[in-house]
This record gives sequence, structure tokens and C-alpha cells, in this order.
Amino acid sequence: MHHSLRNAATVFCAIAALSVSASAVKVGDPAPDFTGTDTNRQIHKLSEYRGKFVVLEWTNNGCPYTRKHYSSGNMQNLQKEWTAKGVVWLTVLSSSQGEQGYMTASAENSYIEKVHASPTAALLDPTGAIGHEYDAKTTPDMYVIDPSGKLIYSGAIDDHPTTNASDIPHSKNYVSDALTEATSGQQVAVTYTRPYGCSVKYEGN
Amino acid sequence: MMLRFRHSSLALLSMALLAIAVALPASADQHSSVTAPHLTVSLLVPPAELYPGQSFTAGLDFKLEDGWHVYWTNAGDSGEPPAIKWTLPAGTLPAGVTADGIQFPPPKRLPLGPLMDFGYENEVVFPIPMHVAADFHPTQSQAPISAHVTWLVCREVCIPGKADLALARTAIASTPASPATDAATQQLIARFQALLPKPLPAADAATFSQTPKGFVLGVTGLKQSAAQFFPLDQTVIANAAPQPAVVTSNGVQLTLTKDENLQGPLQKLNGLLEFPDGIAYEIHATPGAFDITATAVVPPGGFTSILGAVGLAFIGGILLNLMPCVFPVLFIKGLALVQSSQHERHELRAHGWVYTLGILVSFWAVVAVLIILRAAGRQLGWGFQFQSPTFLALMAMLLFFLGLALAGQFEFGLSLTSAGGSLAQKQGYAGSFFTGVLAMIVATPCTAPFMGAAIGYALSHSAWISFAIFTALALGLAVPYLALAYFPAWARVLPKPGAWMEVLKQAVSIPIFATVIWLVWVFTQLAGTTALMGLLAAFLLLAIAGWFLGRWPGKAAATTIATVVLIAAIAAPVWSVRAFGITARSASEQATGNQPPATGSQWQPFTPALVAQSRAQGKPVFIDFTASWCLSCQVNERLILRRADVEQRLRDSGAVLIRADWTNQDADITQTLASLGRSGVPTYALYPADPSAPAHVLPEVLTPGIVINALDSLPNSNRQSASVSRPIAH
Repeated sequence: MHHSLRNAATVFCAIAALSVSASAVKVGDPAPDFTGTDTNRQIHKLSEYRGKFVVLEWTNNGCPYTRKHYSSGNMQNLQKEWTAKGVVWLTVLSSSQGEQGYMTASAENSYIEKVHASPTAALLDPTGAIGHEYDAKTTPDMYVIDPSGKLIYSGAIDDHPTTNASDIPHSKNYVSDALTEATSGQQVAVTYTRPYGCSVKYEGN
Repeated sequence: MMLRFRHSSLALLSMALLAIAVALPASADQHSSVTAPHLTVSLLVPPAELYPGQSFTAGLDFKLEDGWHVYWTNAGDSGEPPAIKWTLPAGTLPAGVTADGIQFPPPKRLPLGPLMDFGYENEVVFPIPMHVAADFHPTQSQAPISAHVTWLVCREVCIPGKADLALARTAIASTPASPATDAATQQLIARFQALLPKPLPAADAATFSQTPKGFVLGVTGLKQSAAQFFPLDQTVIANAAPQPAVVTSNGVQLTLTKDENLQGPLQKLNGLLEFPDGIAYEIHATPGAFDITATAVVPPGGFTSILGAVGLAFIGGILLNLMPCVFPVLFIKGLALVQSSQHERHELRAHGWVYTLGILVSFWAVVAVLIILRAAGRQLGWGFQFQSPTFLALMAMLLFFLGLALAGQFEFGLSLTSAGGSLAQKQGYAGSFFTGVLAMIVATPCTAPFMGAAIGYALSHSAWISFAIFTALALGLAVPYLALAYFPAWARVLPKPGAWMEVLKQAVSIPIFATVIWLVWVFTQLAGTTALMGLLAAFLLLAIAGWFLGRWPGKAAATTIATVVLIAAIAAPVWSVRAFGITARSASEQATGNQPPATGSQWQPFTPALVAQSRAQGKPVFIDFTASWCLSCQVNERLILRRADVEQRLRDSGAVLIRADWTNQDADITQTLASLGRSGVPTYALYPADPSAPAHVLPEVLTPGIVINALDSLPNSNRQSASVSRPIAH
């Protein structure tokens, strides 16, 4: 019994960490700092991007919700538009090895080339460390961080939680809106929505 | 009230399909059912004819492959609910056939790592009420009902799906004499209609109060041991957070964790409250404190159940006399009776009553403390005093000193009057009173059959009911002794006083010392081996004090020295617990080092999440609520749960075996016990895999048969998957 108690301590901590999912990130609070490695073995540290707007995009190229935005070119267009305006766009892959959306560095590089995506970098997060830090729930799940390092938007990419690309033209894109408002010095109108999509395929699911 | 689904806009696609549907009137049953990846979806329309003024309930039936699920109206952290676009017979416009929104039966929690979705596995039928206008004039007899259905089906991965379903129906101009209906379809829909959430009864109220971390939701009238809340609105509560539920005097109260990003105060908390019996209520809670004493403390029809609980408590008290940890006290009581048999009969009776009073006063003291602590919001259960190392040390010392006296190191009653143990041994009324007090203290951790349930009942009720229950318990504990005092015939059976009394007295010290060993063991679990040195030093000091008392009986100087040594003895463990008492967790780790690996390594430590996860995975769960200070628990574990055949059966059952160790206070375990209507250990609970099915609480005294029968009564997996009566639950 008592040796089960020692296990209890370990298992309890592990489960607590997983199921109560530490603390979700709150819009208006400083975005948690993280260090991630991209597909070209470059190290990215969020705090190094102080002074710039940063977009975090959780992705899984097998997920029909993510595909909706890549097959239509919607996500690539957003990436191009905003990186051209000096925004740092980090695509995060939190699928664990063996799960849908898990990519090796070279596979992800060829995928980025194939779909003409242009994020600043694609971070490989198979342990889910960054995902858990942000409590990222779905793919896509979008975060916008302002130059002071504060989280200013968290949630869905747009207001049409479907897998149908034909919905995109008449959708309200929350990420674009938040960036437009924030870069022009306005208050972000919609700061938090429920993200929609497939669940992030974390390790140990 | 029904749950309406917010249609996602699929206008373009639907228009195109509408055109197809109109162009190609569906032939009978050909497309009423479609098999798509991982599911089969069917449109159910029970009536064969459509006629003016008719109302009926159609259904959308999803049969899912094992492990795959579709979603509730609020899908939770990911996923989307199914949606439907109708093409219905119009007749001469505008009067025609109309469909209400999809109705959603209560979902199941579907944990996925840190995420929590709400949905359905195996099979679900969504009822959809439909109406035919009173002035419906069919333009042709063919009246196809067509639906374009979209859904998301997920396991680890998600696959969106869509299907066009159609059923041919006949339109007629007036109500037929004998309407033709597909009875089987109607029954299937009706089964799921029965599961739909009900409105909260008008007499009951749902309120919530906002806390820094979330909400405390209180619903009156619905008294059940457990409940689950499903939020109708997204981004209000943290879906994955546990929802500890407590039964209050007038309802049920859940603690919900809010969504971290919820802005401003919440005006309404909308959702379903589902109980273990599968009944769900739709609630729209408004801000306001949940007043536990707002309604009558006696629940409807509760008076008889209170009488029943009082009766059970009384019987439990009697049985308490037979429990192993009361045995030493029984010996003392027997000894006291032998001495008392010299007295006159009326004096015997008076002693009986004083003993009863001693027990009553102790129980009242405990119930008073419990009520005060409960009012202060502390989650405490019966037996908690054995979770305090200082209390344990003092009990061990008391019994050790008592043991020394019984073994003959010194005589009682000559000089010492202060220690409780010596008081218990004193002749006269004080002795009887403190024997009663001692009986109560030692009985505490042994919750005999019935007693646990009665205490659970008492703790979840008002102060007066708790008081009545504890009084009944006390009287039950006292009654055998009292009866002996009143029936001289039984007293006459007692042997005549003589030299054997000294032998008996010395023999009684043996179970006393055995109890001391047990207390020291428990103390070490709680306070660690370093603090143990303080307690052992105290024993030495007690032995020295005893030696002074025995060597120079009745001498003032010796008594003074003994008193000083006694005070030092009491101070030693109290100080050592303060100085060296280690945290509960490290104490158990320290203790672990000295223990051989347990054979029952398949037992996992308790967490509420583990229970929920295992059941969500379709596994039944067996929980052994235990504590190292609970002797009955050790006996059950060693003699029953570790028996080869029982272990084998436990393994074969596929049940997840969980051990909830309550040696130290643990709020989660206390709450889970409360949800089972219990407040002490041992408790054994078998949860069926079906999360909506109630837990089966086993008796406190186990036999191999009880455990095996309970496992046999679990629905086996084949029956589970074939069952359609509880399809939402697997």
C-alpha cells in the first residue's frame, strides 16, 4: 500500500499536469516565453521577438480543419500578408511521433514548399511542451502576441467552424482583424473565441 | 426545453443538393441510410403518411464504430455537432412540413489528454420534432423527406462527413382512419426522447456564485450522490477540469472551474446536470448564493428514512462492540464489570448509565467539533483524529501506560488521578465515565457495517440529524454493557472475584500492548522515523514514571517525580512531531523504503481523473478506500483482496483497480467518499464502465464471494455494446 503511495505521488503529478493542464494563457497577460527548434534547426525564443507582433499557429496537415485553410490558400495568404508587414509568424506542430500531423524537419520543409506556405518558421514540438504551455486545443488554434509580449488574441482563425473551404470568403477572420486593429493602435475588438478544429494530437493521448 | 443547434451556413451546397433532391424524388429506403467512414447514419421517419395538422418526431440515427464519436451541441474543446438541412414537402406554399431543431440527448465526457470533448459513442439518435401545417394541401401524393446531414466523426483523428438521406412518404389530404406507423422506428426514437434533458421542476432553483477560480453551482431538490455538468455555452467553464460534487441538505453542489479567458461577471450559467441514474435536467442558473438551509432539512418522505438511518446507527453501534479495534476496550469493560459485580444491583445500573453518559458525551463532543469544522468549510471525514500524529502519540502513550499498570508495574488509584487511562481504570463513577470515553475514542476508526452509511447520511444533513444519528450510535455502543447491568441473570454468569482477576488483568495488558504497536506503526507512517524516536523516548519516560509509582506507592515525593517525568513524556513526542515531523508524502516515501513490494502491484493510486478516464475508456473501476490506521481495511486487503482466486478474478474482470489511501487527509478522497454516501473507511466501490450507472458499494466486511459476485454482476462487454437502452453512455 505504501509503495503505491509513492507511485501515487508520481502518477498524481503527471495526471494533474495533464488533466488540469497547468494554467491556460489569459488574454491580456504576458504570453509564456518558450524556446523552440524549427525545421532548419534554428532556435527561436519568443522573448527575442519583443518589439514585433508574433502569431502562433497550431497546425496538423492531416486535420480537415487545417486543410480547409491550406487547400484554399487562406492560411498561406495570411502568412504572406502579415510577414510582409513585419509580423513574426510561427507555425507550431505539437503532434507527437506516430500521430496525425507529426512531421520530421525535412518532411515539413518539403510540405511548406509544396503548399507555398510562408511562415517565419515552423517549430517542431512533438513533446507538446509549447502546446501545453499555451493550452493549445485544436488545429488550427491561433494566438496573437503584441510587441510588449502581451497576448492580445487567442482562439479560432475565423467564425465558421466548418471544414468547407467555400465558407472562407464570407468568414470574419479574427486573426486578421486583431492584427489590423492592433497594428493601427486600436483596441482589439474580439480577443477570445473558442478555437475550432481537430484536437491537438498530444503525446500520451 | 429543447436544444437547438446553430446551423452552420452551408447554403450554397444545400441549394445545389436541394436541386438534386427535387429533381430525383428519392425511392423508398434507398437512401434513408448511408454507411460512411466509421459510422452509419440513418434518417428515421415513423409515419408512412403525412396529413394536415400532424405532429411526429423524426430521428437522425448514428451507429458508430468502436472508439469513434460524434458530438453534442457544445462539442467541448474540439469537434463540431452534426447539422441537418431539410428538403421537406411544401404542398401549396407557404403551408407545408416543418422541422424543429435537432434535440440532443445528454452526452458523455470524452477526455483526450488535456482536452475534454462532449459527445456520443456506439449509437445515438437525435430526435427532431416535425409538424405538418393544418392547411397542408399536398400537390402530389409523393412527399419525400430529404435531409442533407453533415457531421464530424473523431477518434484520435477527425473525419468530416456528409450524406443525403431521403425517405418516400405519402401525402394525403386528411387524417387517415388508421395511420400507418413504423413501430420499431418509433420505439427507437422514443428511447432517446426519454433521455432528453428535462426542465428543472418549478419548485427547485439553480443558482451559482462566482469564485476567483470559477463557479459554485447549487441546485435544490435534486439530491443524488454525484452529478456532471455539461455547459451549453462554449468558453464559460474549463471543460476538462474535475467537477467535485457534494450532496447538501437540500440538493447538490458542484464546483466548476471557469475558462481562463472568461471576461466579466457571468449573467447565466446554462447547461445540463446529469445524474448517475441517467436523468438529466436543463438548467439556467442565475447568480446568487446557494443557501444550504433554504428548504426544509427533512427531504420529501425523509422522516422514515431518517428513522431508518437512526435505527441503522443504533445497530451499527452495537456491532461496533465486536469490531477488532474495540476489543481492548471490551476487555477493560469486562474487567470493570467483574469488579462491579461486587456492588449492589442499583449501583451496577448507575454505573451502566454513567458509562453510557461517557460514550454519549464523547460522541456529542465529536459531532459538535464536526459540525463546527464542517461549517468552517473543512472537508473532513470520520476517523480524522487518527490522521493527526500528535493525537496518535498521545493515544499510544495512554495505552502504553495503561498496559504497564495492567501488567502489574504499579497499581492504579493510589496516587494518579490525571491521565484519562487511569481514570478509566478508576473504581467508581469516574472510572465508568472514562471507560465510556475510551470506548468511543478507540472505536472511531472502525466503521462497522451500517455505521459508515449512517455517518455519511448524518454528515450530509443538518446539525440536528447528525446529532440524532450520533446519539443513536453512542447508545448502540453502550447498550450491551447497560443490558448487562440491568439483567442480573447475565451478571450472575460472571465469575466470582478472586486471584484469577489479577491474572486476567495482566492478560488484558497483551491486547493493550498490541494496540500500542498498531498506533506506533500508524504514527510512523504519518510522522516519519525521526519523530518516532520522540515517541519511543516517551515510552521509556512512562516506564520510569511507572516504576516510581510502583516502587514507592502512595509516597508524595515519588508521585511528584512521576508527574514531572510524565509531563516530560507527553512533551517528548509533541515536540518531536513539531521538530522532526515530516510531510505526509515524504513520510510515506520513507516508510516505503522499509516495505517489501506489494503483490498487488496492479493497484493504481486514486485520482478522480483516473476514475473518469478509465470509465470513459469503457473499463469498470474497483476502488479500495483504505488507510493504514484502519485495521478492518488491512484485514480485508490481506485476507480477501490478496487471495489468489480473488486476485485472479479482479484481473480477469478488466476492471481498473484503484487504491484510495486516506491515511492522510485528502480532499479528493473525502469528496469521492461523500459522493458514495460514506465518510469513512473501509469502503469498497465498484463503478460500472457506463459513467451514468451508479457505483455499487460493497459491504465493509468482505468475503471472497461478495467481491466475485459484485464483479459477476458487471455487464459484460458484449452486452454493453449490444445495449441500445443506454447508448449514450459507452
